[in-house]
Amino acid sequence: MSKYAPKLSELKKEFDEKPSVLKGDYSAQEWWDRPVEFRDGNWCFPGKQEVLADLGFANPRKWAATDEDWQLPADWQKTISEGLQSRLKKYRSLKLFLDSCVRCGACADKCHFFLGTGDPKNMPVLRAELLRSVYRNDFPLVEKILKGFSGSRKLTKAVIKEWHMYFNQCTECRRCSVFCPFGIDTAEITMLVRELLNLIGVNNNWILAPVSNCNRTGNHLGIEPHTFVQNINSLVEDIGDLTGVEVEPTFNRKGAEVLFITPSGDVFGDPGVYTMMGYLLLFHHIGLDYTISTYASEGGNFGMFTSNDMMKKLNAKMYHEAKRLGVKWLLGGECGHMWRVVHQYMNTMNGPADFLEVPVSPITGTRFSNAAATKMVHIAEFTADLIHHKKLKLDPKRNDHLRTTFHDSCNVARGMGMFEEPRSILRNVCNSFHEMAEDTIREKTFCCGSGSGLNAEEYMDIRMRGGFPRANAVKQVKDRHKVNSLVTICAIDRASLPPLMNYWNPGVSVYGLHELVGNALVMQGEKKRTTDLRENTMAGFEDGGDDDE
Amino acid sequence: MVTQYSMKRGWTEFLEANKKAILERWLDCALALFPEKMGYSTPIGTVFSGALEKILSSLGKRENDCKEALDDVTRILAVQNFPPSKALSIFLEPKLILHDIMMKTTVADTLMQEAFNSRLDALTLEAFDSYMRHREKIYQLKVEEGSRRMYMALRRAEA
Repeated sequence: MSKYAPKLSELKKEFDEKPSVLKGDYSAQEWWDRPVEFRDGNWCFPGKQEVLADLGFANPRKWAATDEDWQLPADWQKTISEGLQSRLKKYRSLKLFLDSCVRCGACADKCHFFLGTGDPKNMPVLRAELLRSVYRNDFPLVEKILKGFSGSRKLTKAVIKEWHMYFNQCTECRRCSVFCPFGIDTAEITMLVRELLNLIGVNNNWILAPVSNCNRTGNHLGIEPHTFVQNINSLVEDIGDLTGVEVEPTFNRKGAEVLFITPSGDVFGDPGVYTMMGYLLLFHHIGLDYTISTYASEGGNFGMFTSNDMMKKLNAKMYHEAKRLGVKWLLGGECGHMWRVVHQYMNTMNGPADFLEVPVSPITGTRFSNAAATKMVHIAEFTADLIHHKKLKLDPKRNDHLRTTFHDSCNVARGMGMFEEPRSILRNVCNSFHEMAEDTIREKTFCCGSGSGLNAEEYMDIRMRGGFPRANAVKQVKDRHKVNSLVTICAIDRASLPPLMNYWNPGVSVYGLHELVGNALVMQGEKKRTTDLRENTMAGFEDGGDDDE
Repeated sequence: MVTQYSMKRGWTEFLEANKKAILERWLDCALALFPEKMGYSTPIGTVFSGALEKILSSLGKRENDCKEALDDVTRILAVQNFPPSKALSIFLEPKLILHDIMMKTTVADTLMQEAFNSRLDALTLEAFDSYMRHREKIYQLKVEEGSRRMYMALRRAEA
């Protein structure tokens, strides 16, 4: 043996004394011995009975995570066990993810929830272990081979509580997966466990209510078609007041070239509506032949946080509508997880969308062959291409009151590898853009802390903890470059980053990328513009006389 | 007056000489508040390390200029899973640290120690105010978020 090899006694000493990923500072205890404690602020309200009934989901009842007895169905263990087995057969990826982890710990300190809480069960490796330990126990062969070493445990009610606690402290952002040498997709483990929990009625109303609304009326808030149209029309009026230009969106128009679908947050929420105004100005500027559907009135897909079948169903309605209206292709707005669903799952769930054409920009002629299967183009790609071909008349000075930084949305960045397009747009529509630290952007971007259906109000404490690494990176550019605007391309970001900034970095506002595009667009026939789309005064345009145009 | 001057001067020198040792132990205690001890290079580790240093430096000065640093620390503590009593205990920790150091290094100076302790007590109470401000902010955020989400509905209702 090599003289450099450590002695057995040294190894034993190191193992006994050194805190490790799985031991933490609790070397006397097994990690699963530490019970979870639910109290106000650390759990999301469960799905309402009527919501579950609407969806035909299991075990509708009145309960709370703080209850001792969660009123699980009598055969809950069998349901979970069989549910896991059937999914292991269906998804080879899941089996690989469960079997191949060597607990190297590379993911441990990459999770924003671990970095914000210091809770060892928020290390992705340990979070997945919450499922793996049960998987090993349920599958005798694995237990037999790895006897005494496998760390298996029985499926008890305490395990269900632990799953509910920790698989709802994962936003499915996949930052950990970037660092995993095996490429284990921990987000898919979270998706799977949430799916299993839904089988026995352990759930989250903030996810299920939008799913039910979307399933019935087509969007998360359950806005019915006439209200949906009214909302957009009042934004059209605002655009008229601010710019003097009358944009003319159409609804459910058959034979349009393009069907535009965006998260419904852009139609009813602040600051999403300003992004919507940006889209409408852009489409008017280039004369796009597009229509908006009041049926497929939601880009988001909370089915992804519920079950594979529900994700498939909600995704399908966009394509049904495209078929019904006879459009050529789909253009998608600024959304996060919608793009993970479209880019990574749509083609095998509902695709290929053969009845549509491979998208070609009618303005530049660019063929988006990257969307050949899904026929759906991301608006940032579309606009970046327009700018690249100099098809837009832009005055970036109109955004001089904003000193920006860019937050890569997890699902667009890591889910579809889009990094440069939004940056290219941003550089063309504003004069002040400062990147955050290198290890907090692009594929290493930190989540907003509220993704995957966790931005419930009652969950604010945990959201602030989980969002801290992102907020801290923004603070650095705020201190260094006086950044006052955080630009993003995701509707959940636009909803969840304002409170995050308000708490950690007061003075930083949140903008959608196309809101800045809307500010900068020089429209034909426009009046002198002195304010931006939020009616904030634009620097250098106060008198209305400084515009080049 | 003469006594006070020399005490203040001795105190500043003492603090300066032992700053590194105090800070090291204090930071260790603060990071150990978390279930798994927080690493030094994590975002929380970095903020704590910078802020605690500023707070410690301000203890040696007549003017209290550590409000921002205090806010940075309590803003993190106010959203953690442990109770306020545990969170704010980190501001009492330097008393023990100082006591240990004095026992080891210099002749025990009770007057200096008392002055230090009373500064720390005042600081702890300030930290409590700051902690509560952050808690209140959390509730305010919940209300604001509700109205932002319903922005268009509220706008129509008001029109």
